[in-house]
Amino acid sequence: MPTVIIDGKELTVDKGTNLIEACRALGLEIPHFCYHPGLPVVGQCRMCQVEVEGQPKLAIACATEAADKMVVRVHSERAVKARKAVLEFLLLNHPLDCPICDRGGECPLQEYTMAHGPGKSRFAEQAIDKVHRTKARPIGPYVIFDAERCVLCTRCVRFCKEVPGTAELGVIQRGDRSEIGLFPGKQLDNPLSGNVIDLCPVGALTSRDYRFKSRPWDLVARVDTTCALCSTGCSITMDVRYLKARREVLRVRPRVNKAVNTYWICDQGRFGFHFIHDEARLRAPSVREDGHRRSLSWDEALGRTARGLAEALRAGAGTVGVIASSRLTNEEAYLLQRFARDVLRTPNLDFRLRPEQEPTGDRKLDVLRHADQTPNTRGLRAIGLLPGAGGLGVAEMLAAARDGRLKALLVIEEDPLGDPRWAGPGQEAFARLDQIAVADLFLTRTGEAGHVVFPARSYAEKEGSFTNAEGRVQRVRPAVEPPGQIWSLAEILGGLARHLGTPFPMLGPREAFEALVREVPAFAGMGYEALDPVGLPLSGNGKGSAG
Amino acid sequence: MSAPAYEKVILRNLQDPGYRGTLAEYRARGGYSGLPKALQLQPQEVIDLVKQSGLRGRGGAGFPTGLKWDFVPKDLALTKYVAINGDEGEPGTFKDRQLLEQEPHPIIEGTVITAYAIGAHVAYIYVRGEFVEGAKVFQRALEEAYAAGFLGKNILGSGFDLDFYMHRGAGAYICGEETGLLESLEGKRGQPRLKPPFPAVKGLFGKPTVVNNVETVSNLPPILVGGPEWYAGIGVPPKNTGTRIFSISGHVERPGNYELPLGLPLRELIFEHAGGIRGGRQLKAVIPGGASSPIFTPAHLDVKMDFDSVAAAGSMAGSGGVVVMDETTCLVRVARVIAHFFAHESCGQCTQCREGTAWLHKMLTRIDEGKGRPEDLEVILDVCDNMKGKTICVLSDAAAMPIESYIKHFRDDFEHHIRGGACPTGMA
Repeated sequence: MPTVIIDGKELTVDKGTNLIEACRALGLEIPHFCYHPGLPVVGQCRMCQVEVEGQPKLAIACATEAADKMVVRVHSERAVKARKAVLEFLLLNHPLDCPICDRGGECPLQEYTMAHGPGKSRFAEQAIDKVHRTKARPIGPYVIFDAERCVLCTRCVRFCKEVPGTAELGVIQRGDRSEIGLFPGKQLDNPLSGNVIDLCPVGALTSRDYRFKSRPWDLVARVDTTCALCSTGCSITMDVRYLKARREVLRVRPRVNKAVNTYWICDQGRFGFHFIHDEARLRAPSVREDGHRRSLSWDEALGRTARGLAEALRAGAGTVGVIASSRLTNEEAYLLQRFARDVLRTPNLDFRLRPEQEPTGDRKLDVLRHADQTPNTRGLRAIGLLPGAGGLGVAEMLAAARDGRLKALLVIEEDPLGDPRWAGPGQEAFARLDQIAVADLFLTRTGEAGHVVFPARSYAEKEGSFTNAEGRVQRVRPAVEPPGQIWSLAEILGGLARHLGTPFPMLGPREAFEALVREVPAFAGMGYEALDPVGLPLSGNGKGSAG
Repeated sequence: MSAPAYEKVILRNLQDPGYRGTLAEYRARGGYSGLPKALQLQPQEVIDLVKQSGLRGRGGAGFPTGLKWDFVPKDLALTKYVAINGDEGEPGTFKDRQLLEQEPHPIIEGTVITAYAIGAHVAYIYVRGEFVEGAKVFQRALEEAYAAGFLGKNILGSGFDLDFYMHRGAGAYICGEETGLLESLEGKRGQPRLKPPFPAVKGLFGKPTVVNNVETVSNLPPILVGGPEWYAGIGVPPKNTGTRIFSISGHVERPGNYELPLGLPLRELIFEHAGGIRGGRQLKAVIPGGASSPIFTPAHLDVKMDFDSVAAAGSMAGSGGVVVMDETTCLVRVARVIAHFFAHESCGQCTQCREGTAWLHKMLTRIDEGKGRPEDLEVILDVCDNMKGKTICVLSDAAAMPIESYIKHFRDDFEHHIRGGACPTGMA
């Protein structure tokens, strides 16, 4: 492993490490625009010039591999002048619209200019000869392009070519007429298009979704969590600010996780979070009476549900079923399977409604996305949210309900009646059930059929962990408060147990996780804190048991 | 007054009136007799022979040709390519054009020799898009060479195969830069590559590639025929051997291409071969090696026109394009025109070049139009400094160095414009 000397400090790095990454390891940022660790090196912006002893010319740190005994001077007079010059060149025709630019406050060009740049322009051609270009041109469903702000680093061009492989963008024209542009007939509409917004080191590519919504300094929280919109489980950060006196998620960005999503997330994960703030979210429990839904208190709703369950339980063992969603966290799943076993004393427990939830059913749709649109199928299987000995799966539960053998059903965050595959048998089954309790974010078809409906929390309001398709356990954190007084699933289960008069432990997410670690071999040895920042893999085959 | 006569190596046949460079005419004058000599040697012997001849590239950089070939990996199993650079775009240079239009066969013969030496079986020539006539003539020559067995399978019964394809450029100066040329040949946007790796190791389609200029390879058949010692005896041995074609243009009585031994004084080129300054006017300035070379003044007339002497005098022999300017020329206008060229031709990858070339052009235009400011010259010089030696290719240097030299040697022209707002030469 080579040892380099950077500004007098010795550092040993892996072979193949470039000088930008070596400096980063020393806590020293070499300014750069075109370099990105996830993209091919092109060495075009020339911002990262440093002096390397023994080399007549300045070296670009992005394309210079750290070599043993290499002496690097980041702050030599020559290197500083050269970098300052690059900033001066970039700023010649750059518009002075920082105050209205979405990138303002989190803009590398702005930051480098403050730290390294010239304070004053020597460009005297402003009035007559400044280059003007098209502003605010939509180039795809999610991205707006402002050509004047572009510094032609070509990160966006390389991203589209190398990562989704769609190559919608290119550099058109040459010299100072060069401009990023779409190839004829193309739109920037690949499923990963939003990444160019993060990649852009200036405000040339901005988000049509986030544009003008916030300033970085308005953001009150940047919450590191895990995307729940498919089984890939990309590491994300949710940016939160106050809107109308309430915290809202305004933006979702990728968080580096080399074991999962590297530097990227898909457009669904980035822009598909708005349902959490939808006006139609359920905010209070309700009951169906004479064909109408009526809100009621949590205590009343829990009491009614408990009475229904108790009645079913009196009819014998195995008269209650539970259909849960693989959107549940590992901790929720753990509590729910215990609740089914200890409180409901039923082995009728399942989450499998779709083929991609089967062990071999999931597949990758592209470099990031999975077919399974839920985040925790693998976790539920490992934990055993599946039919126990002699227990019924989803189809069998519905058949048993039709036969009158199953009396009551709990449905957690799933909507079999809204799914064409299940709606037929489901309708008939639901009509026969004595007690249907549903918990969900919205009033679904299944919810409409439910006797009692509880509101549920979204992935932006839950704490715990998910296990992704690869078996990696990662943290989920609440970014915002639920839109109403919405109990956690742990609290709902605890409340039901209390009304039923059965002891059931009230475990918070950490305690539930620790119980999981003790009881489920695939989670053995994990620590809740150790899940940060990039998660831990399930041990063994992680497939879990069926019971 | 008749100019001294020297032995010609490349333009020899063109001295015959009516010579049109067809295969038959070329062969009648000994053409294609260098190739069989090469094919009888081992490839490494051909490389060594070219090294002994001292031949240096005629495209601009003057890199030793044999050495360039020797960098190519010797692994026989590797696919390798030869790319001939006929994208002559350096302002003031028009020699490759004449070779393509009037003497195409030595280019083909030299290319086969090059390919044999490095073990390539496919060669390309990249012909400047504007050379419509040259492309037509060259294509015909390729067909003649295939028909006569100088190209294709089993050339001259040697067992060596070579296919040679012509590709026409689309009008970008930067595609004459060797890695820009390779990108363009691959069908991509013509812009130089980050080096290393160099083309000899990773060139066309990622394979080892030799890129040689049209004039360079035209020297190879005579070198094979006459021997390396003969060639090395021309010019200024050991490092500046042979002849080169000087394209002399501007304010001379007889502009044109002149093939002369390396190392003749600039004075002889201008005053004897090109007939002196037009209309008996005074010489003011000379661009010695194409638009990207720093300028010479009458004080440089005794500089010997070879690679090393021109470099020692602060400029570069470059592509051999000699542009002569008389006393009626304003260097501010020259600077503006040259700056416009480079701003127009910058590929735009590197920040300094993309922005710097355009900025220089804007400032020089402003000064030329009488709106200069006293601080402009220092800004220009500093911008030039910021553009030099800091980019992927040397286009940025090529734009900055001449401008610096104009201000260095002809500061009065610039200051006069800035102070008085008008041109001292009265140039409109």
